[in-house]
Amino acid sequence: MTEESTEIARGLRRRDPDLLDRLIEQYQHRLLRYLVYLTGRRELAEDLFQETWIRVLERGHQFNDKYTFSTWLFAVARNLAIDHMRRRQPASLDGLLNGGETSFDVPATGQASAFDTTLQHEQNEHISAGMQHLPAEYREALVLRFQEGMSLEEIASVANVPLGTVKSRIYRGLSALEPWLKGASL
Amino acid sequence: MSIRKDNDAHERARKLIVLGRSDELSVADERSSDERSTNAWLAAHLESCASCRVFAENAAETIRGLRAIPIAAERSLVSMTQMRVRQRALELQLQRERMWLVAISCTAVTFCGLLSTIALWRGFAWLGERAQLAPSVWQVGFLIFCVTPALVAGVLLLASGTHFDRHFDTNLADQIGSYRG
Repeated sequence: MTEESTEIARGLRRRDPDLLDRLIEQYQHRLLRYLVYLTGRRELAEDLFQETWIRVLERGHQFNDKYTFSTWLFAVARNLAIDHMRRRQPASLDGLLNGGETSFDVPATGQASAFDTTLQHEQNEHISAGMQHLPAEYREALVLRFQEGMSLEEIASVANVPLGTVKSRIYRGLSALEPWLKGASL
Repeated sequence: MSIRKDNDAHERARKLIVLGRSDELSVADERSSDERSTNAWLAAHLESCASCRVFAENAAETIRGLRAIPIAAERSLVSMTQMRVRQRALELQLQRERMWLVAISCTAVTFCGLLSTIALWRGFAWLGERAQLAPSVWQVGFLIFCVTPALVAGVLLLASGTHFDRHFDTNLADQIGSYRG
C-alpha cells in the first residue's frame, strides 16, 4: 500500500498523464458514487468529477504518500463540492441537501437494467429515497463507510472531523435509514 | 437505575452493530482480549433482546442495500475527463516552460543592466574628469541620463491614454447620439 502510494506521489509530482489516466480508470466509479451521494445530483457530480481530476493534476505535489490515495482523492472532491456550494449560496454542506432544486437521482442512467429482481429493486429505491432525506454529512459518512469500505479514521480524515463525529454520523445515518428499508414514506 | 442501565446496554449493542466491534475499541492493544469479550457480550445481548436483534437484521439489510445500489461512471465521462486532464497537463507544462524563459530573461536583463550601469558610471566619471567638472555635476548628469528614458516613456503613455479616452468618449457620444436620434 505504502509502495503504491509512493509511486503515485512520485507520478503526481511529475504530473505524469499516463498515471492520471490509470487513476481515473481505477477510481472512476468510486469517486462518482461518492460525489453523487454527496451532492445529490448526478449532473453536478459529473462536473465535480472532472474538476476533481484537474485539481489532482494541479495539486498532485501536495499528496502525502503516508496516506492512501483514495482518502486524499475524496478529500479533494469534498473540498471542491463545498467550494461549489459556497459559490452558489454561502452555506455549509447542508446546503447540498436543502438547495430546493435538489433531486436525488442516484440510479445511474443506463444502469437501470441492473435492478432485475423486483425485491432488490424496491429495496434499493427505498434506500435511495431514504438517503435523499438524510443530511449530506450522514450520506457522506454512510457511503464512505459501507460503499467505499473506509476505516473510521480514514473517513475522519476525508471529512476533516473528529472520530467521534464520524461514529455518530454513521450511527445516526443508519438508524435514520432503517424505517426506509421497509418502504416507509416519511 | 435499572432502566437506564438497560438503555445503555441497547445503545452499546446498537453502536457495536453499526460501527463494528474493532472500530468501537479505540486502543489497538486492547483489541485482542476485549474483542472476544465484546463479541460474547453482544451475542448474549442479541439472544436476549428482540428489538436489538431486529435492529441488527435491519442494519445488515440496509448496508447490503446500500452496497447494491449501482452507480457507474459512463465511458464518455471518463474519456472526457482524461482528455481534459491531458490538455491541462499540457497547458501547465507550457506555462512552466514560459516561466523558465521569463526567469532566464529577467536574470539576463538584470545582469546586462548591472554591467551597463557600471560601464556608464565609469564613462560619466571619465567624461567629468576630461571636462574638469565637479563629481556632483557628472553624477547628476548620470542620474538624468538613467531616468530620462523612463520619464519620456511615462509621458508618452499618459498622452496616448488621454488620446484613447478622448477617442472613446467621442465614440460613446456618437453612439448615444445615434440611440437618441
